[in-house]
Amino acid sequence: MTRLGRLTRRFGTLLGFLIVILFFWFNLPDTFMTARNLLNISQQVSMLAVVAFSMTIVMVMNDFDLSVGSMASLAGIVAALLFSQGSSVFLGVSAALAVGLLGGLINGVLVSLVGILPFVATLGTLTIFSGLAFFVSGGKTIFGRDIPAAFSGFARAGLPLGTLNERPLLLPNLTLVALIVLFLVWLTLEHTTFGRRLYAIGGNREASRLAGVRVRLLRLLAFVLTGLGAALAGLMYASRVASANPTQGAGLMLDAIAAVFLGMTMSEEGEPHVLATLVGVLILGVLDNGLTQMQVDSYVREMLMGGIIVAAVASSSLGKQS
Amino acid sequence: MKRLFRLSFSLALFILCTAFAQTVAVVTPYLAQPGTQFMVEAFEAAAKAKGWTVNVIDTAGDVAAVISRIEDVVTQGVDAIVINVDPAQVAAGLASAADANIPVFGMDAGTDAMLVTNVTSNGYAMATETSSYVVDRIGGAGRVVMFVFDAYPPVQKRGVVADAIFGNYPDIEIVDRITPDVSDGGIADSRAKMEAVLAANPDAGSISAVWAAWDQPALGALQAIEDAGRGAEGIVIVGIDANPQALDAIRAGGNFEASVSQDFNGIGSTTADLVERYLGGETITQATVYVPTTLVTGANVGDFVSQ
Repeated sequence: MTRLGRLTRRFGTLLGFLIVILFFWFNLPDTFMTARNLLNISQQVSMLAVVAFSMTIVMVMNDFDLSVGSMASLAGIVAALLFSQGSSVFLGVSAALAVGLLGGLINGVLVSLVGILPFVATLGTLTIFSGLAFFVSGGKTIFGRDIPAAFSGFARAGLPLGTLNERPLLLPNLTLVALIVLFLVWLTLEHTTFGRRLYAIGGNREASRLAGVRVRLLRLLAFVLTGLGAALAGLMYASRVASANPTQGAGLMLDAIAAVFLGMTMSEEGEPHVLATLVGVLILGVLDNGLTQMQVDSYVREMLMGGIIVAAVASSSLGKQS
Repeated sequence: MKRLFRLSFSLALFILCTAFAQTVAVVTPYLAQPGTQFMVEAFEAAAKAKGWTVNVIDTAGDVAAVISRIEDVVTQGVDAIVINVDPAQVAAGLASAADANIPVFGMDAGTDAMLVTNVTSNGYAMATETSSYVVDRIGGAGRVVMFVFDAYPPVQKRGVVADAIFGNYPDIEIVDRITPDVSDGGIADSRAKMEAVLAANPDAGSISAVWAAWDQPALGALQAIEDAGRGAEGIVIVGIDANPQALDAIRAGGNFEASVSQDFNGIGSTTADLVERYLGGETITQATVYVPTTLVTGANVGDFVSQ
């Protein structure tokens, strides 16, 4: 294969992303490439980003976690229910994260110890977590005075970066959280033995096992981390909408998988890497933001986004065959 | 690639051409629901007549995405935003609109200090219509079963009014004030509750009417009464909302006699008028603007088939 071919294959998605950005910049000269809008996009994608980063951890091993969306809903509901009974923000948040850990542990046990295919196991827990969220909340949205201002205020605040056009410019707290998760997942996957072994498992599970990698334990731990990440994203969502509803995280799962796949097109070996996942998340977020500003019909926007995902993965796959 | 630029060029031209008219964004997670559809279509029609550009954004149930899309249209710099979602849940988006001095209007959204106004139906008035209908039909005397739902504020309002009106007649006795379990949609549990009430009041004529705060319990009660073979006792059933199933029941001419139809088209076009008045410099003093509703009975049910 030619050098050029290899480069387009590896960087085709990144190039596509740049074209998308230039396209919006050209069409929305006054409003797209502004500090405020970019910070805005970073906040809008923060919840999806946290789910996608956590999803990357299991996808490194060629596994999936379909339950992340319903875990996000459940975590939001657990925190909101505790708030409505007068718990502190700390207690509500801790309990929700504990639920995430526990849910992830259940997924890990089912996949790794019991040996159920991740698709089937997490499809089952998806339904269980979703049912549980409906059950404990009675199907109702928890909002209003039940949600403490300290919790909902978190998503509306940020680090002051200065003022622009006489309005304060903030680095949103939700963006900060996503950046911290990005750093932690990057550190874990790329710079720890644990992370490298997950990649080894993804490469060849049986060979890893024979080489002395404790495949079962590591897979289990990876699912625990993904569950924790999903719960964190659910809390971020609940804080942003100042309410919790038993279905509100449902849309995160497919978008997160799409983001990881978009990122995988950027890797020589087709492996997921968390920085590439970030590009995938940003592509989805920028498309949403730009197409909305250009007043593209919501349903056309959805079709375009699906089409772009398929096109990116298809071009990368064709590139690999040639 | 080439096509992408051609598309972008034509879009840029389009945006340039429309830059001088008013641009209004309508953001809702509920466009799949019939009521919302009627409102949005009526709003679009009214806005088109005024020469505005309307951008309708549906987030398909995702409330956080409503906040994101509000932020996007604020960045885009629209002249006004219309929302059809609980304002308390999208406060972050409303705050960004307020920062940019872009007015936000509620279209059947809920009253909120951050909205210029909210256009909706008057729950008190709707309950007045159906409770008075019951009082008149039973001649101010009889035993009434109520279905209420006080946990949900818009429905709680309806119950309060019915309590007051029935309470004004010493010869009206409330047999039971039932809160059905709505997790199954409300019909099945209401039916079970009504069956229990019928079993406890077995004599013909011991129940005069069923007043339901919305249509589902009324439909459940209707099923219970018909299946118990007590459809000929003249029990009067009323609901609120005039959903398609309720309209069918009223048209069939059985015990389900009346419901109230919200004027979703009116809510949409009134919202457009209020946006126009506000952008024209007028101060809107009412935090909520009510659009009249219509009592639906066998006499006028034919007018509502199309909705």
